[in-house]
Amino acid sequence: MSTDTLPERLQKARRGVAPGGRGPQPRSKRPSSPLGRAGLTLTLFALPSLILLVLLNVFPVVYSLLQSLQNGTPSTLPTDAPFVGLQNYVDVLTSDQFRASAIFTLIFTITGVFGSWAIGLGLALLLRTRIPGGGVFKVLLLLPWIVPVVVSATSWNWLVATPQSPIPTILGNFGLGDANFLGDPVLAQVVVCVFKVWISFPFMMMMMSSALASVDTNVYEAAKMDGATGWQAFTGVTLPIISRTTYISWVLMTIFCVNDFPTIFLLTQGGPVGATSSLIVLAYQFAFQNLQTGPATAIAFLMTAVLVIISTVLYQQIKKVNIE
Amino acid sequence: MSGQPIAVGGATSATLGQVKRRSVREREQKGQWWRFALILVITAIVIVPIFVVFLLSVQPGQGSTQTGFTFENFERVFTGTDVLLWLGNSLLVAVVTVVVAVAIAAPAGYVLSRLRNRLVSGYSLVLFIVQALPVVTAAIPLFITFSVLGLINTLPGVAIVYIGSTMSVAIWMMAAYFDSIPISLEEAAWMDGASVFGGFRRIVLRNSLPGILSTAIFSFLLAWNDYLIALLFLQDSTKYTLPIGLNTFFQQNAADWGSVMAVAVVMMLPPVLLFVFLNRYFSVGGIGGSLAGR
Repeated sequence: MSTDTLPERLQKARRGVAPGGRGPQPRSKRPSSPLGRAGLTLTLFALPSLILLVLLNVFPVVYSLLQSLQNGTPSTLPTDAPFVGLQNYVDVLTSDQFRASAIFTLIFTITGVFGSWAIGLGLALLLRTRIPGGGVFKVLLLLPWIVPVVVSATSWNWLVATPQSPIPTILGNFGLGDANFLGDPVLAQVVVCVFKVWISFPFMMMMMSSALASVDTNVYEAAKMDGATGWQAFTGVTLPIISRTTYISWVLMTIFCVNDFPTIFLLTQGGPVGATSSLIVLAYQFAFQNLQTGPATAIAFLMTAVLVIISTVLYQQIKKVNIE
Repeated sequence: MSGQPIAVGGATSATLGQVKRRSVREREQKGQWWRFALILVITAIVIVPIFVVFLLSVQPGQGSTQTGFTFENFERVFTGTDVLLWLGNSLLVAVVTVVVAVAIAAPAGYVLSRLRNRLVSGYSLVLFIVQALPVVTAAIPLFITFSVLGLINTLPGVAIVYIGSTMSVAIWMMAAYFDSIPISLEEAAWMDGASVFGGFRRIVLRNSLPGILSTAIFSFLLAWNDYLIALLFLQDSTKYTLPIGLNTFFQQNAADWGSVMAVAVVMMLPPVLLFVFLNRYFSVGGIGGSLAGR
């Protein structure tokens, strides 16, 4: 829209039309997509997030990389801490504590990922069929994921913490003896893993439900006509269709499990005798209980490296699938 | 780009949108009752740990004259402890986190959704890697930095950390939702002379309430549930948020389960109420739905 006054417009017209004029004024810019020309606006759109990302995520990572090469405490500045090179990494990687912790992290992650996936997929398949009150069940089954972990850990403590707690008492009545769930190293590991599966299966259930929603039920009719058994239909039809979501949810759950601090710490604080210290709990203990940020950040960095590799591979994989 | 057929858009594709009460009349299938029994048993077992929280919170404690159902645990914790203060702190931190995170993530998500070039997909990859980083990696340096800045033991301090940790997923979620809004709507606005900002504000944002709500709920829960950052950063009991308040209270009153569970009920009620009333917008796992959609 031109806001020029009439005389100005007449003058312009005259300039354009009259001999020696510069021709008509260029038409007002009206490209099909102004996105390409709005570089400044779009930069301003992304800038606040970029600044926050650099200050709160990138800077700490670089900072802790530096700390992992030093012997500091949580209250010393990096300029005051003695530089020790890769010594922290050598110490950490050769310690029995790290090895035990890495093995427990692996167990915790594998049970967490596949345990919750199997249960979540089973329930998603079950809920897909017609069940009276199915919607109500679906809501109730999601509660473990919704309830704050501090609350559920408190409740699990009540259920299992001492030999007098309800679950050990019930099991005792079945003749299983006085199990001290959180006092025995192996039992504590089992409890922590079961707790993690309990928290995580709703995530898997939702992911799998949304993947299954895209499966056309006619496919099953066709498979049945061809004489496929239920199991064959499951492995031959269902699994391939939900494979992409399954893959994404496995990798995400791996990240969630490896990074999970409160689930373990609130239940056992990493004990007894370090049996349930996953790597992240170990890093916390080094940093804030032993006040040694060197080994703590070295452990955190080793974890970070593994997780960055996992997520980069996942990302590329997803992009590839999207393009196909 | 994505080409995936998604009903409501990425951010909400893993939500409870499909949850519908099914009619109880369908008796024709026999196997239905067998499955009903199975799922009833599984659900009953699964919700035991949540049910006992409510149950214990309304039971009289040891030495109480009352029997049966009682609110005395709630009266005791409301009058005798800082639980209302912790509730206020938690609400304040969570609301600030949500408002700032959405305000920053929405425009950034728009860029991620509409621009497809090397720089943008590089940024998208960086965001994706950042959400996978262990919190302790950032917690130790931030602890030192925040000590220098005087942000330790303050509520703004923890809110800043939460904004930082929710940012990457929040941007992804917003971008996934914007993907579901056809660009032709903005093109029409541009034809009418709207600027890029105008089109974003008047067309895209106005149609993005579900995506904004999903992102807001995700950020709210992250701030509401966090334990590690609160444990490290908050030292005075007057500054506690509920997770750290509940855990400290539990460790000091381990025998008084009624009071402990009363505090636990206070803590879990807001997320559960959000879930009951806004469950269509719950995106389980935040980035999970976005990834499946993008």
